[in-house]
Amino acid sequence: MTGKRHNPHFRKLLVGYDGSTESEKAVEVALSLAECVDASVLVFAVARPPEPSTSVELEAVLDDAKEHFEEGFKKIREKAKEHEIGLQTATAVGHPAEQIIHRAEADGIDLIILGRRGRSMISRMMLGSVSERTLRYAHCPVMVVH
Amino acid sequence: MENVWVLASVWVGLALIATLVAIWFKISTALSEIVVGTVAQLIIGAFFVHGELGAKSPWVTFLAGTGAIVLTFLAGAELDPQIFRMKWKEATVVGLVGFFGPFLGCTAIAHFVLHWTVRSSWLAGVALSTTSVAVVYAVMLELGFNVTDFGKAVLAACFINDLGTVIALGLIFSPFTIKTLIFVGTSVIVFAILPFLTPRFFKLYGGRVSELEAKYLLFLLFAMGGLAVWSGSEAVLPAYIIGMVLAGTVGKDHVLIRRLRTLTFGLLTPFYFIRAGSFVSIPVLVAAPLIFVTLFFAKMLSKIIPLFPTVKTFKYQREEGLYFTLMMSTGLTFGTISALFGLNHGVIDQAQYSHLVATVIGSAVIPTMIANAWFMPRHLLVSKKGKDAALAQPVHSSQVEVGV
Repeated sequence: MTGKRHNPHFRKLLVGYDGSTESEKAVEVALSLAECVDASVLVFAVARPPEPSTSVELEAVLDDAKEHFEEGFKKIREKAKEHEIGLQTATAVGHPAEQIIHRAEADGIDLIILGRRGRSMISRMMLGSVSERTLRYAHCPVMVVH
Repeated sequence: MENVWVLASVWVGLALIATLVAIWFKISTALSEIVVGTVAQLIIGAFFVHGELGAKSPWVTFLAGTGAIVLTFLAGAELDPQIFRMKWKEATVVGLVGFFGPFLGCTAIAHFVLHWTVRSSWLAGVALSTTSVAVVYAVMLELGFNVTDFGKAVLAACFINDLGTVIALGLIFSPFTIKTLIFVGTSVIVFAILPFLTPRFFKLYGGRVSELEAKYLLFLLFAMGGLAVWSGSEAVLPAYIIGMVLAGTVGKDHVLIRRLRTLTFGLLTPFYFIRAGSFVSIPVLVAAPLIFVTLFFAKMLSKIIPLFPTVKTFKYQREEGLYFTLMMSTGLTFGTISALFGLNHGVIDQAQYSHLVATVIGSAVIPTMIANAWFMPRHLLVSKKGKDAALAQPVHSSQVEVGV
C-alpha cells in the first residue's frame, strides 16, 4: 500500500470511545496513525453501570449504551473502510480504565489512545480520571489526545 | 398543598433534580431519588411550619405503589428460566441460605441487641435479607463470569434469595385466615396458567398502538395486588412471581419491556423512591448512629457466615470471595419496599424506618465505595490471587455483547 510504513512497535492500536467529541478526536488520531504505520485499530467502548446497580435500570442502561455505541461504530467503520484500515469494534461493561487495560493486555495492544475529558474536580474525585488510571496500569504506551 | 398540579410539579421537579444528580455522579437513579426525597423533606420541614411534600396524598400513594409493583414485576422478568432450570439445585440452596442467614441474623440482632419488638425485628430481618441481583450481574459482566457455571448459579441464587424476601414480606405480617388460603390458591392457579395464556393472547391481539400488552399486564398486577392486599398480604409478592413466570415469554419481548421501562422510570418509580426517601428522618439518624452501624454489620456477617460453607459444598472455591462480597449488597428496591410496608402497616415507627433505609442504602453503597477507593484493575487482583477464571477466557462475551 502506498504511503504506508510498517512499524514493528505499533501494530495494534486500541482507541477508547464513548461518543464524546474528545473520543471522536482520539479516533481520528488513531485512524490517521494507523494509516501511516499500517496498524490495525480496535475501537473500544465501555458501558459503565450506575453505582450501586439496581434491577431493571442496569439492563436499561446497557441496552441504551449498546445502541448508542453501535451508532458511532457505524460511522467509524465507514471511515476506516475508506482509508483501508483494519478495524475492529467492541463493547464492554464496567469501569472504563479497568476494561481498557484488560482488553489491551488480552489482545496484545501496542498503543492505547484516549481522549482527554475535561471533568470537574468533583467528578474526578468521584469517578477518577480514566486516562490517569490507564496510564498507571497499562502494559503499553498510552497517548492522551487533547 | 391542595393544588394537585403544583404538587405534581414539585414532585416531578424533584425527580428531574434526582436524575441530573444521578447523571453527574454516575449513581443509580433510585439512590439519587431516595436521597433527594430525604433532603427535600428536611428542607421543607425546616423552613415551613407543618411543611410536607404531600407524600401521603392518595394520588402520590397510588403512583408510588404502582411504581413499586411494576418495578418488582420487571425485576422478576429479568430471570433467565434456562439458567434456572440448569442450576436449580445450587441456586435454591445458595439462595435460601443467602436469604435465611440475614433474615434470622438481623431479626435476632434487632430484637436482642436493639430491643425492637418481635414484629419490628422480623421486619428488619426481611428488609435486610434481600440481595442486589443487579450488583451481582454488573460485576459478573465486568469479569466475564456471567458465562461460567458458577456465575450462572449465583445469579439464579440471587433470584431465589429475593423470592424468599418477597414471600416473607407477603406472608409473615398477614393474619392467616381463609382469605390467605383464597389468595394462595388463586395465585397458584393464575401463576400456572399465565405462561400458556399470555403469549397466545398477545399473539392474537397484541402488536397494536392501543398497547394491549401493557394494559393486560397492569390489569393482572393490579388484580393480583388487590387480592394480596385484601388477604392482608403485600402487592409486590404476586408482582415478582408474575414477573418470574412470564420471564421466558414476556421477559424476552424487548420492545414491550422497553415500553414498560419508559413508563416506570419516566413516571412511576420517581414517586416511589422520592416518597420512600421523604419518610427518612436525618435528625433521627444523627442522634443514634450506632443503630445503623449495628444493623449494617449484622447484615454483612449474617450473610457471609452461612454462605461461606454452603458455597464450598458445591466445590466452587475459586471465585467465592468475590461473590460473598457481592451478595452482601442489599437491593434498594426490595429493601425499601419492605421498610415502607412496615411503616405503612405500623410494624415499625419512623425512627426504625429511617435506620432500616439508611442500612439498606449503606449496604448497597459502602461495598461499592470501598471497591472504588482501593481501585485497582480487578482482573489483576483476581489473577494475583490465582483466580484467573476471567483472564482464562480469550475474549469476554460481555466485551462483545453488552447486556448478555
